[in-house]
Amino acid sequence: MLRDVSGINSSTALWYTSRATGVVALLLMTAVVLLGLLVTRQGRLPGLPRFAVTGLHRNLSLIAVVFVALHVLTAVADSYVHIPLTAAVIPLASPYERLWLGLGAVSLDLTIAVVVTSLLRRHLSRRLWRGVHLLAYASWPVAWLHSITSSPDLRHGALFLLAVACALVVVLAVLWRLAAASRDVPRAERVGHLMSALHHPMSALHHHRAPNAPQSRAPERASRL
Amino acid sequence: MTTATHGAPAEDTATSLPRLLPRSGQHPEDWHAHMARHGRLPYRDRPGDLILDLSAAGLTGRGGAAFPAHRKLSAVLDAADKRRRPPVVIANGAESEPASDKDATLLWLAPHLVLDGLQLAAEAVGAEAAILYTHTDRRNDVGRRLGQAIAERVAVGADRVPVQLAEAPPRFLSGQETALVSHLAGGPAIPTFMPPRITERGLAGAPTLVQNAETLAHMALIARHGPRWFRQVGTTAEPGSMLCTIRRADGTPRVAEVPLGMPLRSLIGDLGPDRAVLIGGYHGTWVPAADAMRLTLDNASLAAVGARVGAGILITPPPDRCALTETAAAVRYLALESAGQCGPCLNGLPRIAAALTEIAVGRQRRQTQADLERWAGLVTGRGACHHPDGTARFVRSALITFAAEIELHRRGRCSGTSRKAFLPIPRDSARTEEDWM
Repeated sequence: MLRDVSGINSSTALWYTSRATGVVALLLMTAVVLLGLLVTRQGRLPGLPRFAVTGLHRNLSLIAVVFVALHVLTAVADSYVHIPLTAAVIPLASPYERLWLGLGAVSLDLTIAVVVTSLLRRHLSRRLWRGVHLLAYASWPVAWLHSITSSPDLRHGALFLLAVACALVVVLAVLWRLAAASRDVPRAERVGHLMSALHHPMSALHHHRAPNAPQSRAPERASRL
Repeated sequence: MTTATHGAPAEDTATSLPRLLPRSGQHPEDWHAHMARHGRLPYRDRPGDLILDLSAAGLTGRGGAAFPAHRKLSAVLDAADKRRRPPVVIANGAESEPASDKDATLLWLAPHLVLDGLQLAAEAVGAEAAILYTHTDRRNDVGRRLGQAIAERVAVGADRVPVQLAEAPPRFLSGQETALVSHLAGGPAIPTFMPPRITERGLAGAPTLVQNAETLAHMALIARHGPRWFRQVGTTAEPGSMLCTIRRADGTPRVAEVPLGMPLRSLIGDLGPDRAVLIGGYHGTWVPAADAMRLTLDNASLAAVGARVGAGILITPPPDRCALTETAAAVRYLALESAGQCGPCLNGLPRIAAALTEIAVGRQRRQTQADLERWAGLVTGRGACHHPDGTARFVRSALITFAAEIELHRRGRCSGTSRKAFLPIPRDSARTEEDWM
């Protein structure tokens, strides 16, 4: 590492900038995905109100976009290998590392779709926005593969461990998200679910009231869940 | 203003009430009877024209919110012009408030007046489609009756815009206008968040006008007789008449058409000082009888006790019932009718219902009333619709009005001697998504 750093000069600066911003972009995108998963469950971070978690998700994603842009532009501007600008968005358009840079282009395209629809969210239906936003789950693994495959740096040493840690955390978070969803009470049953939890004083009302008083359905429902 | 004795609106030649309901008896009006009483539909042959008359008349929505009718129509007409999209007009007959019976009564007795209003409103905003949305089994097969009425109009070619009949699910919230649009679009009848307002983007994205059935019936009469005639009854600020559902201690509910500004005393009779009146139904306000005797039926007067005219529901439980216990049961029903989509309503109303029940059954803890007050404040203004707000208002008014009764219950006693329920409460609550469809 030290030798590499000392080798930075005007001709290698762009190359190193591109790699460094790429690593930071991967970290930021990992954080954005984790926060996104948290937001879907209306989860909270210690010391932050819910809206701040959403805000953090949104702002970090915009910062990630800046780093991805720097990563792509410096890679294109660097003259050591020829990467045409079109290769940034068109998969397989780069003569250098054709397939692995293609993954980067795919991930970038998906990210652009997610970011643009989120910026235009007010003008889109929720369904359309959500459908496109789900592409983030495809964008991240593709970006991760792109990181591992196109950079020898990430295949060993500390950066390899970092990449593995990122993948592990995202997989665990997705599993947590799916497990939480499976415990969800359907909207129409939520109230009854809660009412049955508060059943004790409610049943007292029935004893107190006339036989023609409305009967509680909540206990039955609870037994079904 | 009209005077009436003991609740029954007197027929006064100058002001001539009732205007909406047939003068004679409870016999439903068919097309011929309707024509004989009101004459032909006064189509204006151009959009926007009727809106000026509605503005001059000062007609407000009779579904409960009292929003100026002309402003809603203008908003829809403007949105239709701007977006070059023909609007949809919907007559809302889904009075989901269990204590109300006025729209069902109007649709049963004078369906053609509502359908006239629907046509005129459609013309006024340039709509090409109209829908009549209602609970079809609420009373005497009103769905079949309305189907017949629509067929009668088709047979004589009275309508310029085709009318479809749509059934509302039996949920408290199904008449809320965004819930109505959601249901007609094929979804569950649950309120949606605004914006966009449905006047801009409602059913299938079209500008949508939703008017209460009674409001449309008033429109049909304003179109015929003009704004000055409309203003001959009511107050200057709140002109016209309205349909009220009055549930007095002595028996069955009565629907009466009364002028706004009428003394409550003449509607509900003289009540003893220990009695209470529920004004506005289950989203309304309990008012001690002593206060009610000084009030008149208009928002300017009722504001003094924090009440509103709403959809014109007046309930005076008999002295042998415990209104506190009945309120607890009604609040339990309201909690079960939460759509379950907004956190404050979903989490708050069941807790509020449970706490009020604790009080009613004499098992309240030291902090129960303070909790209730706090929760009522927490849920207010924090839903997609006003369900939590209305429920909180209802509960708070009960805590104040029944303070003495609460003290009795705390000591394990109750002033009620009959255990027969007086407030009407539907037995079924929603269990699955199907129940909202």
